[in-house]
Amino acid sequence: MGEMVISSDPNEELVALGLGSCIGLAIVDRTAGVAGLAPIVLPESNDRGDQVGKFADTAVPELIEKMRRAGAVVRRFETAIAGGARMFEMSGGLDIGSRNETAVRAALAKARITVKAAQTGGDTGRTVKIAVGDLLVTVRSAGQPPETLLEGRKPRATAGAGAAR
Amino acid sequence: MTEHQSQEKTPVNPSLSEIQLDALRELANIASGTAATALSQMLAREVEINVPRALALPPADAVDECGDPEQHVAGVVVPIQGDIDGLVLLLIPYEQAEILCSLLGVEAHTEVGDSALREIGNILATSYLNGLGSMTGLELEPSPPHLHSDMLAAIVSTLLIGTAGPDDLALVLDSELDVSGDPCSISFLLLPTSGQISDLLAPLGLAEPSA
Repeated sequence: MGEMVISSDPNEELVALGLGSCIGLAIVDRTAGVAGLAPIVLPESNDRGDQVGKFADTAVPELIEKMRRAGAVVRRFETAIAGGARMFEMSGGLDIGSRNETAVRAALAKARITVKAAQTGGDTGRTVKIAVGDLLVTVRSAGQPPETLLEGRKPRATAGAGAAR
Repeated sequence: MTEHQSQEKTPVNPSLSEIQLDALRELANIASGTAATALSQMLAREVEINVPRALALPPADAVDECGDPEQHVAGVVVPIQGDIDGLVLLLIPYEQAEILCSLLGVEAHTEVGDSALREIGNILATSYLNGLGSMTGLELEPSPPHLHSDMLAAIVSTLLIGTAGPDDLALVLDSELDVSGDPCSISFLLLPTSGQISDLLAPLGLAEPSA
């Protein structure tokens, strides 16, 4: 679980550890060198004002807005999602994982953002990492090596650090 | 990033009084004693229990309190039927599940080994719930157990999202059972569904948040 994080510090790594039914939403802008990662817990906020980052319908716009404020531009976004597992068969048809995925995809579509890579569903937990330096996005399941979701590539040399404007 | 709410290692429990938490710890203590006896008989080994913790926290913080989020664990989940809703959860470090299986004379990560872990979950949950029931007068019965091996945080967060209610508060009663002679320990967690906490406390006359 944990909180939404944004960074343009090339020495940082953004991490969402042990996502089960949660969705890890990773967005990068390579030109601006900005990365954002949101662990999304539930599909709908039902108009609760607090804990914006927890619900798909409020967390997605919040992450987009935070990235824009950090200098990122929506049309340059590369987006990946992972998580949304159904880990236990007992929750009585209430598959929060897939409802989370549907809600995150819907909120992204509303903002005209396409999902470039996804590793969702199944019955395993996952950890998502973004290396802010080269914006490599990886996902790993328990006992497995990491897999690449979005290839790592340095931001353009001229862009420098942050490229705030 | 800097808004850590607890000043010390002890986490804050916003909605329950110290007396209520003490009572929950005492319930967990006696109930896990019953479970430890059952485990000890099953393995023919001594089993030690630590002082249980009672946590009432937002799910994300409660997950953090349960251990290394990426630790690979075998989780046995036993849903509770009866007077309160909730789950019993056993967390066994993946390698230690092999020790546990070998103490029972079965091979780990096989159908028989998995079945043995589920059975341990069933027996421990039954004796824990019996202990809890005899103190509170509540009727509590275990449903068939589920086994899932995964990252600790993935298991605990997925379950707590289910038990934490609209008030976004997860209650965790946490005991540690150590099998002596081997590096083998089982985290035993009771996760009552939110709103059921007062049902656990009512028989002790502590349902109302006291000053």
